[in-house]
Amino acid sequence: MFEHLLNGFAVALLPTNLLIALAGCLVGTLIGVLPGLGPTATLAMLIPLVFSMPPATAMILLTSVYYGSMYGGSTTSILVNIPGESASVITTIDGHKMAMQGRAGSALAIAAIGSFIAGTFAVLMLTFVGAPIATYSLHFGPAEFFSLMVFGLCTVASLTGTNVAKSVITTCFGLMIATVGIDLVSGAARFTFGNPFLQDGIDFVVVAIGMFAFTEVIVTAREVREGVRPEIVKAEKVWIQWKEFVYSLPSILRGTVFGFLVGMLPGAGATLSTFIAYNLEKRICRHPERLGTGDIRGVANPESANNAASGASLVPLLTLGLPGGGATAVMLGALMMLDITPGPLMFQKHGAMIWALIASMYVGNALLLLLNWPLVNLFARVMSVPAKYLMPIVLVISTIGVWSLSYSEVDLVLTGAAGVLGYYLRKYKYPIEPLILGLILGGRMEQAYRQALIISRGSNWIFLEHPISLALLIAAALFLLLPTLLKKSKQFMAARETSVEAA
Amino acid sequence: MDTLRKAVTRTRVEGLVILLVALGYLWEAHNVPEFYQLPGVPGPTTFPRLLGIVFALAGLWLLVSPQELKVWKKAAGAPAAAQTPEPAPAAGRGLLRRIAAGWHFYVMWAVILAYLWAMPDLGFPLATFLLLVAFIFLLGETRWHVVLGLAAAATILIYVSFRMGLNVRLPLGILEAWFK
Repeated sequence: MFEHLLNGFAVALLPTNLLIALAGCLVGTLIGVLPGLGPTATLAMLIPLVFSMPPATAMILLTSVYYGSMYGGSTTSILVNIPGESASVITTIDGHKMAMQGRAGSALAIAAIGSFIAGTFAVLMLTFVGAPIATYSLHFGPAEFFSLMVFGLCTVASLTGTNVAKSVITTCFGLMIATVGIDLVSGAARFTFGNPFLQDGIDFVVVAIGMFAFTEVIVTAREVREGVRPEIVKAEKVWIQWKEFVYSLPSILRGTVFGFLVGMLPGAGATLSTFIAYNLEKRICRHPERLGTGDIRGVANPESANNAASGASLVPLLTLGLPGGGATAVMLGALMMLDITPGPLMFQKHGAMIWALIASMYVGNALLLLLNWPLVNLFARVMSVPAKYLMPIVLVISTIGVWSLSYSEVDLVLTGAAGVLGYYLRKYKYPIEPLILGLILGGRMEQAYRQALIISRGSNWIFLEHPISLALLIAAALFLLLPTLLKKSKQFMAARETSVEAA
Repeated sequence: MDTLRKAVTRTRVEGLVILLVALGYLWEAHNVPEFYQLPGVPGPTTFPRLLGIVFALAGLWLLVSPQELKVWKKAAGAPAAAQTPEPAPAAGRGLLRRIAAGWHFYVMWAVILAYLWAMPDLGFPLATFLLLVAFIFLLGETRWHVVLGLAAAATILIYVSFRMGLNVRLPLGILEAWFK
């Protein structure tokens, strides 16, 4: 394995890939800093760019943007009291109070250190856990895979949004969109309404850009017209005392472990992990009453948790082909466009690429630490780029993203429709991430379903007769009931709401 | 109370729409010609049928779920519950007045949709310039030299970098004649 990893480093340290990782980290940090531009929308916009790259480089770009945004989100939480990402909402509680007390420097430093430790831990786990999980899942047949995907979709549906019925609806709608086009087995044109442009199906980038990028532009535009942007606190010197570091180290470690465990679950994602980790921290740590008053542990803990979780979400993505949320779903889509189907066979078939990706994540974490330390004030100032100039440009670049897919006018019109629908869904709290997830998984899910039915000669009982499949289906059902059981937990409900808001 | 009732009604209407979409979807699946179906093998409509049924059931649930009760209970518990976060509650009476209060929001969508519709024919540079002018203005920048200058600069920069740098084919549209 170490041989693989060393080979991976050889690829990751190629000048091009290093440059791409650096650019990705920069872009990621920037979008993390900018409220109103989330990682999912940015990744969707980057997809057309990624086409011409070798797969390893493409994945390095996408992942470095992804965890860069987790890094950048904390900066604005601390300095401006506006979380750049939903995953940094918790950080504002203690982080901004620290900034008001003149301790912004320590807060930023501990956020960077915590993220670094957590990010490195997550990659380390991915290094050791990834291949065994993939090997285990090689025993999965079509029935198990179908149930696994049902499980993944159910966890996402249960953990995002305020109403499980609404999440189920958007998931199902995503799967339905995935069935549009020519059926690859029989050649039947389905749901095309005689329109030849629909025969290829509806590209997920079209829907993702419409629903994430366009709606984000409109939502931000409304905020710009209605709200005022608060003032930025300046960090004097980003440094931390040894005493503070020792004080917050246990919180970092706890945040890292909880974040990783929660992050592995499809659908939980970085946002929920911060809520859970912070909540647990309150119960476990000494002097819990200090949390919430500008305690450094209140920054260290959630910032470690969200970075560990975003690393952890790559585990099910790379080993099982199961994305956990919007951002990883877009990555999965990108991989499939590059003709790589993530799943158990990925470590065998595309081992070189995976190890290069893992190696580049070590590099990326180090880069982020080096990058953020001196530049943190500069990044914070990016916030003052007025959204009224930025948002129209985001709009144009998103449109180019859709156009460059296949130079099709129908795609543009569909994007507009997806945007309007997406805005309605967002406004009335129908979560969008399950829809994108369903759209991306739909094809493979149908394939698994049909293969399983062929094996069982048409009997649906096959999904209950195979023990792994049965266990997954039971777990899926439990997850759908979970919100009803946990309704009393205010933290949990708040976390779900935020994950909708921030999509 | 009015907003609560509205929220419930909206859910009901959504449920109805979802149910209708599901039925249309199932009907369309039913219309896939028979000869694609091989006997004994799951065909192109097996999976869609499953989806359509789940979708219809979920829509039905929205339509009949005992939401009123919950909503009324909630209202009794917390009278000032922020059920619908309408941005401008003062102007919330009457559809016309609401549209008038949020006119720029509707215009924004209209501008975006018009851009997506007309871009291939009008050409990227011209359409983008118009979009940027309209959008920057709608977002509250009223100094015309800033609006026009920024829109022109951004259009040229984006066009050049995507056309030359990344080799994306962007249509010139009606400007084509000028450049030839």
